[in-house]
Amino acid sequence: MKPKIVSFTLNGRPVDVMVRPMTTLQNVLRRQLELTATKAGCRQGSCGSCTVLVNGEPMAACLLPIEDVEGQEVLTLEGITPLHGLHPIQEAFFENFAVQCGYCTPGMIMVTKALLEREPRPDEATIREALSGNLCRCTGYQAIVQAVTDAADRLHGNGGVS
Amino acid sequence: MSVQNYYLPESLGEALELLARYGPDLLVIAGGTVAMPLINEGVSTPVQVMGLRRTGLDEMARSNGNVKIGATTTLTRLLEESPVPLLRTAARNTAAWTIRNMGTVGGNLFSPPPAGDVAVALLALDAEVTLTGSGGERVVPLARFWTGFMTNVMQADELVTAITLPVPTGKTAYIKYGRKQAHTPAVVTVAAHLVVEGGRVQQARLALGAVGPHPLRCPQAEAVLTGSELSEDAITEAAQTAAGECDPFTDAIASEWYRRKMVPVYVARALRQIAQEEAAS
Repeated sequence: MKPKIVSFTLNGRPVDVMVRPMTTLQNVLRRQLELTATKAGCRQGSCGSCTVLVNGEPMAACLLPIEDVEGQEVLTLEGITPLHGLHPIQEAFFENFAVQCGYCTPGMIMVTKALLEREPRPDEATIREALSGNLCRCTGYQAIVQAVTDAADRLHGNGGVS
Repeated sequence: MSVQNYYLPESLGEALELLARYGPDLLVIAGGTVAMPLINEGVSTPVQVMGLRRTGLDEMARSNGNVKIGATTTLTRLLEESPVPLLRTAARNTAAWTIRNMGTVGGNLFSPPPAGDVAVALLALDAEVTLTGSGGERVVPLARFWTGFMTNVMQADELVTAITLPVPTGKTAYIKYGRKQAHTPAVVTVAAHLVVEGGRVQQARLALGAVGPHPLRCPQAEAVLTGSELSEDAITEAAQTAAGECDPFTDAIASEWYRRKMVPVYVARALRQIAQEEAAS
């Protein structure tokens, strides 16, 4: 087994990591780079807690061999969190009480980011469909769906509705 | 022992060379949504692995009344770009956005039941599988691709490179029954394609998923439908016949008993959808 170097863009900055073959992106992020916003829920691709954006597309970091992201752009929750304060999607989750234990939140937020980039004003069915791969075992989904709608307002204006 | 080499060939030729070198010792993955969970759990401990993401086998093209789908076409692309509505519906009913961005059409043929919700639709559409090996290409009807649970007719030096299907000429229906509305394993999945002319069924293809060792066709139920006027009686008889043709199993989602009870219910619903569309057209 030969360690190898994989280069990719992480949250806007180039990184090189030395890895054993087929280490998952999830393990590289959490164990090697100590970026623990990306969670490790099921490691089966079933829970959505490890969702990151690869070239803007939501993917399960637990199912992605690090070699597959060579030369690609990876965005994690750390990458959208400003140095001070919160991203508007984070604010919306916080203020709508869409967070209880918080374990599902990074994945929910990354999917929300990808969704709102494609559809600035998604309806409720679209939001539920987009988030269907992200499981929350605390709050129920109502507050989360509301948070996504609120995030759309924060990012794109509320269309004149007060 | 952990993975020694993870190869990412950049062409089909390179991939076939690796396959010829390692044979059955080489684990082939594409989107990783089937293999990676088993590797993460330690259930699968491959030593040599090949990923197909960079092979460029992801072209989708329509020509001469056929649709050819490259094996590594993602389910998201199938959902967004397939010219066949039944395949878009099947893709929408498979997993969730994140997984559809990774999982591939070719990989769906290797997804053990109750997964394989796209494969069921492909079966109802009479798809053929192109297998490419060191000796060249051969084409196998999907209906003869599987030989049992997780087994198929492939040789050790072959890859699934494409899936081809005729553009459907009749009406289609697809129902996946799961415990949730989305991102759920199937209790049963039904896909049907019927050609109705002059009020009679000229051709019937009915496929079921999650109720056997692999997606399966129901030739006896198809025979019941063929030549019928797709009346409620014919639908009921075909649905009951299909229940006798499948081989359900018990898992965390549903029991064998429950799955067998649900087969006729959902077969009948799918057939009624087509009957109603026919009546309206």
